This record gives sequence, structure tokens and C-alpha cells, in this order.
Amino acid sequence: MSQTEIILKAEGIHKSFGSVEVLKGISLEARKHDVISILGSSGSGKSTFLRCLNFLETPTSGKVTVHGNEILVRNGKPQNVRHIEEIRARLGMVFQQFNLWTHRTVLENVMEGPVQVKRQPKAEARDKAEALLKRVGLEERMGMYPSQLSGGQQQRVAIARALAMEPDAILFDEPTSALDPELVGEVLKVMQDLAAEGRTMIVVTHEMGFAREVSSEVVFLHEGRIAEQGPPEEMFTNPRTEVFERFIAKVM
Amino acid sequence: MFELFSYGDTGWGDEILRGLAITVQLAIVTLPVGLLLGFLAAFASMSRLGPLRFLGFGYTTIMRGLPEILTLFVVYNGVGLLLNMALRWWNPERGATDFSPFAAGVIALGMVFGAFAGEVLRGAFQSLDKGQTEAGRAIGMTQGQIFRRIQLPQLWRFALPGLGNLWINMLKDTALVSVIALDDLMRMTKVAVGVTKQPFTFYLLACLIYWVMCVLSELVLYWMERRANRGIRRAV
Amino acid sequence: MNPIEIIAQYWPRLLDGTLMTIKLTFLGALIAALVSPGFALIRTHAAPLAQAPLRLYISFMRGTPILAQLFLIFYGSGQFRPILQDWGLWTFFRDPFNCALLAFALNSTAYQTEILRGGIMGVPQGEIEAAKAIGMTRFKTLRRVVFPHAYRIAWPALGNEVILLMKASALASVVTVFDIMGRTRQIFSRTFDFSTYLWAALIYLCITAIFVLIWRQAERRLSRHIEAHHKPRVAAQPAKEPQA
Repeated sequence: MSQTEIILKAEGIHKSFGSVEVLKGISLEARKHDVISILGSSGSGKSTFLRCLNFLETPTSGKVTVHGNEILVRNGKPQNVRHIEEIRARLGMVFQQFNLWTHRTVLENVMEGPVQVKRQPKAEARDKAEALLKRVGLEERMGMYPSQLSGGQQQRVAIARALAMEPDAILFDEPTSALDPELVGEVLKVMQDLAAEGRTMIVVTHEMGFAREVSSEVVFLHEGRIAEQGPPEEMFTNPRTEVFERFIAKVM
Repeated sequence: MFELFSYGDTGWGDEILRGLAITVQLAIVTLPVGLLLGFLAAFASMSRLGPLRFLGFGYTTIMRGLPEILTLFVVYNGVGLLLNMALRWWNPERGATDFSPFAAGVIALGMVFGAFAGEVLRGAFQSLDKGQTEAGRAIGMTQGQIFRRIQLPQLWRFALPGLGNLWINMLKDTALVSVIALDDLMRMTKVAVGVTKQPFTFYLLACLIYWVMCVLSELVLYWMERRANRGIRRAV
Repeated sequence: MNPIEIIAQYWPRLLDGTLMTIKLTFLGALIAALVSPGFALIRTHAAPLAQAPLRLYISFMRGTPILAQLFLIFYGSGQFRPILQDWGLWTFFRDPFNCALLAFALNSTAYQTEILRGGIMGVPQGEIEAAKAIGMTRFKTLRRVVFPHAYRIAWPALGNEVILLMKASALASVVTVFDIMGRTRQIFSRTFDFSTYLWAALIYLCITAIFVLIWRQAERRLSRHIEAHHKPRVAAQPAKEPQA
């Protein structure tokens, strides 16, 4: 397992907002087929860390490498800005609030990246988008606008949109937190399928079931640092730190 | 160059100030006329009587669609014609009387203001909390009491930003009366230009004066809005 | 003369004036529409100090009567006649139509910039992030996400601005442009028939009404994604379960 290709590498990520240091040096490696769940109570910096990986948030310092594109950040200034869009195109992202483009149809949302960023021919992008929407069970909604869909359906479109870019890895930022409880299942099901087919995923989540059963590795953040890290089964049955023990006692 | 703007026989300062005084008078006299028309239009367009609603709706829609200068000419020439007709009917010996451009300005600008204000006030009425009206009714207040004690004080808060905009628009529209020969700021500027042959200097001066009036109005309105909203943020 | 005689005799002039009004309004609004997106971006993205000249310009345009702006350009340019002649610009400023168009375009640019700025600020931040996350460049994000959204938000206000500009274009008659108002004053000065003004009012109202219809139609097209939300028929279709 450890011999497989490294997809994403983050080294010593620091992030401060004003005088508040949110991330105090986090390093993480994602290899091909890894499904990494990032856990932590609110304010632990887990979403900020995820957003630093594709530079939606610029780290104060640290280094991110994706597929040979290396970006070193010093004093809040990325050294190689031109790699940012390349990295973003290689990392899919699924947001808590879906963030579908409300002025475009479901199909157009999924086609947008391949056509506009990867410059694929429209016909090809359309075929692929249709296939992806079929996979997430929304082939009958292709001509609709996001406002006509339920939250769960919107999030599945957002996942299809991320997949359309054929990303090396997909970042999920609390993908089920904004959903009504009865809609969480349909999204988790799609994510589980993606994991099963060997997609590389980094998931910030509150869904302990997903973290425990689907992920290959769990990272627990506490006060801007990695407090504990390891295979889920081991961590959940045998927490090594007191903070993680208290955390699972509270959420499970 | 400053001699040009000085006060007295050599400069144009006093003429321009007199024009400014007319402009300000015109705006201040027009405001209550416009507000009254605005309230009437708002009540009419919310009335239960179909014809009255039609009248209110027709007035606000037509008035808002016409160029202000056209309204001014319609009032100036039209009302002038009617006035002369009436006077001649009263006393056939009488010659033609000129309708005062100041009055024409007040009526025309007031009608324009009233049409827009009607819409602003109607919107404000509709954003009032219906529960408070019901609460008033529940303790036995009359419709008039509810209007005066509950609706009007709150109406002000909703309508103020819109009315403030209309005031500034009206202040600028007063410049139109120079076209019907009222000696306002704009026309006195034109007179000064005719004599001095320095059109850019004087029109720029006029612009600056209007600009200062508008910016001052904005400041006052900002202060009034803050006062009107006292307690609102805290209460929520 | 009665109203019918007026229109029977003078309709060619009024038609000519109508075309002039439409031309002035359309060109003025168009020039402003071409300039304002760039200005709006400066208003939303540039540093406060870099914005200062633009803010001053906008405040001036909004704080002074259009009539005064028109006079400043048309008559005011006379003060610089020798310089303008040297630069070959005098022929431009001598023509009242050009001056009116310039004044209206400058004025409308200020208003359209502020309207568009409001639209840009109303674009949901999340959708901009989604565009970034997919690797779009800043320019592409503006073109594909920010502006389409901003225009939809700003659309009704932009329509209002065009109507205001159309009404303001009547001021061109004061500097002898023969638009509807100019023709109307010309006819009135010959006939002293009050109905001339009523015909003019009717024409202005018709232009406004037609414009409103066209603009609403365009708005409906622009906001299909909102309209659709209210149709229960679509939402009632059975949801399909994600495939295993």
C-alpha cells in the first residue's frame, strides 16, 4: 500500500487569520486510492486545512505538491502562482453548500469545467456529463436548474461536476452537513461507491459511520495540529489520546 | 478670476446667489406639495374602490413615464391656457395673463415627485407589520388612531430612503425651470455666461453648487435614517 | 386645429423626432454599457485610493443636473475653442447631437457602474469559489460566473436606468436637437395647439411601454432558473435513487 504513487503532499501548513493561528503546521500525504477522513470539533481548523490544499485559502506558510506541481508558500505569498489553477484542475472539490452555478442547468454545471478549463469539445463533454449524471442517479434532471432540486440531489450534481474534471483526488468539505437528515444517505451512498472504485478522497466530515467504515485513514485535528492519525478501526477501538477519546465519546 | 464671482457690481456672486435662493425656495415649496400628492396617490392605489385605484395607478404610471421637461411644458403652457380661458370667461375685456413660472415649477415638479413618492409610500405601507395593526384593532383603536399612532411613525422609517432619493432628484430637476424663464441658479448662470463669455467656468460653478447641495442632502438624509432606525437593530 | 389635424399634418416631424430620441437613448445607453463593466470591476476590486477618481466622477454625475452637465459640455466647450480647434475636436463639440450624446453617455456610465457594482456584490461567494476550485482563471470566472449572475441581478435596475435616460434625452431639445421634445416645441411655437404636448406624451409613454415589454421578456429568459422554481409540475417528478 505504501508503495503506491503519492497524489497529494502537504508539508508544514500554517495558517493565521490576523493574530489567530488556526493551523500550526500540518503535514499530510495522500496516496492513490486513499480515503482520508479528517475529523475534529468545530474550530479545529479542518475545513481551513482542506481549503488550503487547493488554495481557496492561501496558507501563511507551507508546501503543497500535486502531480509534480509544487507550490511553496512563505509569508502568505505563494512562490509559483501559475501552478494554482493547475492544482485546482487536478483536485475536485465538493462544498458544504454545494455551490452549484444557479444560472446554469444541471448538465451545464457538469460540462462547464471540461469545456472551459480543459478545453474539451462540447459533444465529448456532454456525453461524459450525461454518463456521470446517470451514475449519480440524476439523468432525468439534466435539463433542470439547481433551484429545482433537493439538497441531496444538488450535492450529487456537485459530485458529478467534480468527477467530470477527472481529478487525481477529490476534496469533500463537510458534504452532508447542510442536508436534511433524510437526504444524507443518498450522498453518502455515492461517496461510498466512489471509495469502492478506488478514488482518492480527502473528506472533512462529521459522519463517524463514514469515517469508520469507508475511509482507509483517519486524521484527527485538534487546535490546529494533528492530534492523532491512523487506520480507523484501530483509532476508534483504541484511541491513544485523551482528546480523541473525548471527541468520539461526544459524537458517537 | 475671483473677481468674476465677487459680490457687487463687478462680479456675479450676488446674481448667482439670488438664483440659488430661488432654486432652494422652489425645492422647499415643492416638497410638501409633492408629499401630499404622494400620499393621495398611495391611498388611491391601495383603495378598495376600483375607479380610485385606477386613477392612482394611472397617475403614478403616466407621470413616471414622461420626461420631466415635458411635464413642465404641459403645466406651464396648459395651465396657462386654461387660466386665460377662465379669466376671459370671467372678464372678456381682460388681456392675456402670464402664468407664473414659479407656480408652474412647483406644480410640475410636485406632480413628478408625487408620482414617485406614491410608489415609495405604497411600498412602505405594504412592508408594515400587519400584526401591529391587528394589535391596535384588538385594543379598540379606530382606523384613524391606528394610522396616526402605529402606522405613520413606522412608515417614515421604510419610506425615508426612497423619499430621500426623490428629494435629491427633485433638487436637480429644479434646473429645468430655467427653460421657462424662472430666474433660478441655472438661468442666472446662463445670464452670467452671456455677459462674461466664460461658459465653462460658470457652468462648472453651477455644477459645483448643485453638487454641494446634493452631498449635503445626502449627509442630512444619512443622519435622519440613522435616527429613524434608532432601536431597531437593538430590538431585533 | 384639433388634435387629429395636428397629427395628420405634423406626423412626419414627430416620427423623425421619435427616431432621434431612440437613437440618442440607444447610443447613450450602449456606450455606457460598454464602459461600465470595467468601471464596476474597479469599484469592487481596486484599492480604495485607486477608486478615488472614479468615485468622484460618479458622485459628480449623480449630484448635478443633467441639464447642467449638458450645458457644461455644449456651451462650456466654447471657452476652449482654440485648443479644441488645434486638436481637431471642435467639429465634434460644435454639433449639439454629439454633445448631448456625450453628456448622456457619461451620465449613464456613472449610474450603470453603480448598478452593476451592486450586481457583482450580490453574486454568491460560494459559486465563485466553485469556479476557482475547478481551476478557472480569474478572467474566466468573471466571464462565466460573475458577470452572467451580476447582470441577472442588475437587469431590472438597468432597465429603469435606460428609461430614465430616455426621459433625460428630452433635454437635448434645449440645445436644439430635434428629438420628440424638440419637434413638439417647434410645432407648438407655430400652432399654439396644446394637443401637441399630449401627442408627445403619448409617444413617450408608448416607447416606455414597448421597452418595458421587451426588457421583461429578456429578463424572463435571463432568469429561467428562478422562474422554474415556482413550477410545481417539475418538482413533482419522482426522484430517482442513486444507482448502486
